[in-house]
Amino acid sequence: MNNLIFDWVWSPLAALCAAAALIVYFCRVRWSRRGWWLLAAVAVYLLTLMSPLAALAQGYLFSAHMLQHILLVLAVPALALMALPGSARMPARFARLLNPGVCWACGVGAMWIWHAPALCNAAATSRLVSVGQTLSLLLLGGMFWWQLLAPDEGQRIAPLHGVVYLFAACVACTVLGIILTFSPVTVCRAYLNPVDRLGIAPILKGTWGMTAARDQQIGGLIMWVPMCMVYLGAIFGQLARWYSVPAETVSTAS
Amino acid sequence: MNESAAEVAIETVLDPDVRAHYQLAWLSTVDHKRIGILYLLTGLVFFVAGGIEALVMRLQLAVPNNHLVAPDTFNMLFTMHGTTMIFLVVMPLLFGLANYFVPLQIGARDMAFPRLNAFSFWLVPLGGILLHFSMLIGDASTVGWFAYAPLNETPYASRLGVDYWAVSLLVLGIGSVGTAINLITTVLCLRAPGMTLRRLPLFTWMNFVNAFLVLAAIPVLNGALVMLLIDRQLNTHFFLPAEGGSPILWQHIFWAFGHPEVYILAIPAFGIVSEIIPVFSRKPIFGYEFVAGSTVAIALLSVGVWAHHMFTVGLGHPMDMFFAGSTMLIAIPTGVKVLNWSATMYRGRIRLKTPMLYCVAFLIQFLCGGITGISHAIVPLDWQTKNSYYLVAHFHYVAVGGILFAILAAVHYWFPKMSGRMLSEKLGRWSFWLMVIGFNGTFLIQHSLGLAGMGRRIYTYPDLPGWGWMNMVSTVSAFFMAAAAIVILWNIGCALLWGAPAGDNPWEAWTLEWATTSPPAVDNFEALPPIHSRRPLWDDANPDRPDPVVGPDHDGASRWDKYRCAIVAFALSEGGFFGTLILAFLYYNVQPQAGPTAKELDLMKTGIFSLCLFASSFTMWRSEAAHHRGSNRGMISWLMITIALGGVFIAGQGLEYGKLLTHGMRIDTNLFTTTFFTLTGFHGIHVVVGLLLMLIVMGLAVAGDFVGKPAPMLGMVGIYWHFVDVVWVFVLTVVYVLPRCL
Repeated sequence: MNNLIFDWVWSPLAALCAAAALIVYFCRVRWSRRGWWLLAAVAVYLLTLMSPLAALAQGYLFSAHMLQHILLVLAVPALALMALPGSARMPARFARLLNPGVCWACGVGAMWIWHAPALCNAAATSRLVSVGQTLSLLLLGGMFWWQLLAPDEGQRIAPLHGVVYLFAACVACTVLGIILTFSPVTVCRAYLNPVDRLGIAPILKGTWGMTAARDQQIGGLIMWVPMCMVYLGAIFGQLARWYSVPAETVSTAS
Repeated sequence: MNESAAEVAIETVLDPDVRAHYQLAWLSTVDHKRIGILYLLTGLVFFVAGGIEALVMRLQLAVPNNHLVAPDTFNMLFTMHGTTMIFLVVMPLLFGLANYFVPLQIGARDMAFPRLNAFSFWLVPLGGILLHFSMLIGDASTVGWFAYAPLNETPYASRLGVDYWAVSLLVLGIGSVGTAINLITTVLCLRAPGMTLRRLPLFTWMNFVNAFLVLAAIPVLNGALVMLLIDRQLNTHFFLPAEGGSPILWQHIFWAFGHPEVYILAIPAFGIVSEIIPVFSRKPIFGYEFVAGSTVAIALLSVGVWAHHMFTVGLGHPMDMFFAGSTMLIAIPTGVKVLNWSATMYRGRIRLKTPMLYCVAFLIQFLCGGITGISHAIVPLDWQTKNSYYLVAHFHYVAVGGILFAILAAVHYWFPKMSGRMLSEKLGRWSFWLMVIGFNGTFLIQHSLGLAGMGRRIYTYPDLPGWGWMNMVSTVSAFFMAAAAIVILWNIGCALLWGAPAGDNPWEAWTLEWATTSPPAVDNFEALPPIHSRRPLWDDANPDRPDPVVGPDHDGASRWDKYRCAIVAFALSEGGFFGTLILAFLYYNVQPQAGPTAKELDLMKTGIFSLCLFASSFTMWRSEAAHHRGSNRGMISWLMITIALGGVFIAGQGLEYGKLLTHGMRIDTNLFTTTFFTLTGFHGIHVVVGLLLMLIVMGLAVAGDFVGKPAPMLGMVGIYWHFVDVVWVFVLTVVYVLPRCL
């Protein structure tokens, strides 16, 4: 497939952020096996923003952009939160702000808002908006996962509520996915007529058989199907957490 | 009547001995056990009807070029057979079992809402009679159980069959939602002390999870049926392509219901098997958490895979690929279950009594049905075998070899509890082997018939090589199944008359339903054993080696208020209904229709009226707050303001309707007006119902009913009203605001 796999995008800002995250983490936290989660988060982050996926997302494919979107909201923040040591706590006044309703709205809002045609277009055409989008996705995704993955068990949502929380998010994203999949309206006009900077348009149109309509359909489907699988996986995490509550400790506590 | 006389009257009514003499006791009963048995009997009656329909079809297909029934009659037969077996046999039978045994298994006295329970049940005979009435007048629906558009529309099915079909399913759907709400509330709010959610018997757990699936799926079907009926009765064209409607939308909505429906039938069956296999293997279930968790997985996955029913529609490669993938994933949780059941039996002391025999057959046959199901996830294979007898064989392996066998296992397992008598083991074995031979003889060979090219729903076929004898084998075997059914009925009849007394716990089982008498007293339990694990009766019988204690003795859920719980569940189901209508509106209006569009609407005026509606949510909240403070007058006045604001909103909607109608925009003008009137009309109906409810509450409040007492009714109406307002937020956005932005 030609030279597509060599079409990496160099983004100094992303590299800088990744390096900063690593330095801050390893200065403040002693190395343990948890550190691997952060390495994974940084790896996914860099792959999302620099790999050929990023090249495709820059003006070529809406579906590639969608994959980025999901990785930034769901994968990177979740992995990063899992890297935090158990002693890490949110200061009380922020914790109060982060109630389940707010966090849910942030996580789902991150999906919906950036797919309003105007915003989606702006992010695809303006570098500045794109950076803002990445930042907001990471932040909002982090807020969403905080309820489930906060290092301190006490700051997490109760497991069965977590099931409802995740299921509701799944429904909300499914609805958006369905709308994107079937919408005859082009959500992101920027992808309609890509400027072929890298000379890969013939591969996309010819070998891959990609048309603008099909591209948007795949984007919608990514949001509809695989994303729900992520939530579903997290639901099992919640069920496992729920069933693992031991008999003795809680009886004595209550 | 003074107080004491009233008390005496109430006691006489409640006294079971007195009540038993009432001729109409079974008709007016609100006892969950009687209702459960009524469900089972209703299911049985329709099983006979659906079975006869099937036998006539098999007779027609027994030999090539047969003319026993006319083509159109054959179409009626398969439509009625499918609809009857799904909605009037399997669902009532499973709901009946759930009704009888869920309250017993959690140590409750009854369902949370006995009268709602009776209401839900009586809708089943009503729906069933509606459906079969069309059969009796020789005008039943001929368009198949999924009634594909546009075949289900007036130009192609101009007689009344489809209308009866749709109304009957609507009636049944409302009943199912009622039952689901009741089950959820019962399990959440009425569990005995110590029966935490972590300790639920698997049958109860799976019915609990299943009830949520019912809440999610059935309202979607109701949405589709409502659109179909509006199409047929008011000459609109939701699904008529000639006028811009979309037949594919019908398929999407139908299968968004239809695929979960498969699991609505299957999950309680899984629950039955999960109860019986451990008891007859003398071992606790292997990996309870995995069996319970995989149920949740199946329920959730089932909501997101419906497009695999539509691979032949031509949705495009991306759709096909994604849904092939997600469909194959279902194999994982079902595989986990099969593995756990097998592992439970592994090295157990297996007692091959009739219920266990049925479960073993279930395991093997369900596995076959599951594997052919996975083969349908392979898109190219699906293209070849769709609507062939291969598909017919597949879903009968799931629905009969799996689900019906599980139900028969349950009947044999729980009959002693329900009647106090044992079924004959000998007759049980006869019925089992007749059933196994009959079932596999009927349907195994249909795989070959399908692969040989025999299409589903053909009324006859030419004398092609092999087709004749294979069909004959299938037909003859079907009569073995009929014989099995007769033996089962004979067995039940004999046992009722002369069966050996069962005692409390004939199978030495471990769940709470076996801790009471057989049949249980009206109030179920004299006393409950202490509950610390998932097998309280094991702990009771083996105090020296009890099961390990599971989780804490209390969970937060037991504090929930049952009224609140029920109304929230109801709102969820209504959310599904409105969600369907809203998505349909979007589907047809994202690109403006020819003729009137959303731009005709008066956003300004509606915005002001909407503010009234939103304000009424606030005043409703103030009314509840006033009641909490103990101020009856405050509550009444806030309630009056709420009603006034709601009335202003409805009047505003009336003005808008009047304006549109005077400009000649009727519901059948174009798809915009159709979707607009449907969506806002149903919302309007909900507002009016809310207003009526509030008037009733206000009447009661003025009469002083709520003074110094909790008023669950006020809380329920409040939540319902907030829900109606939230729906309007979405309707306003989608109908009034969004079209202006696009």
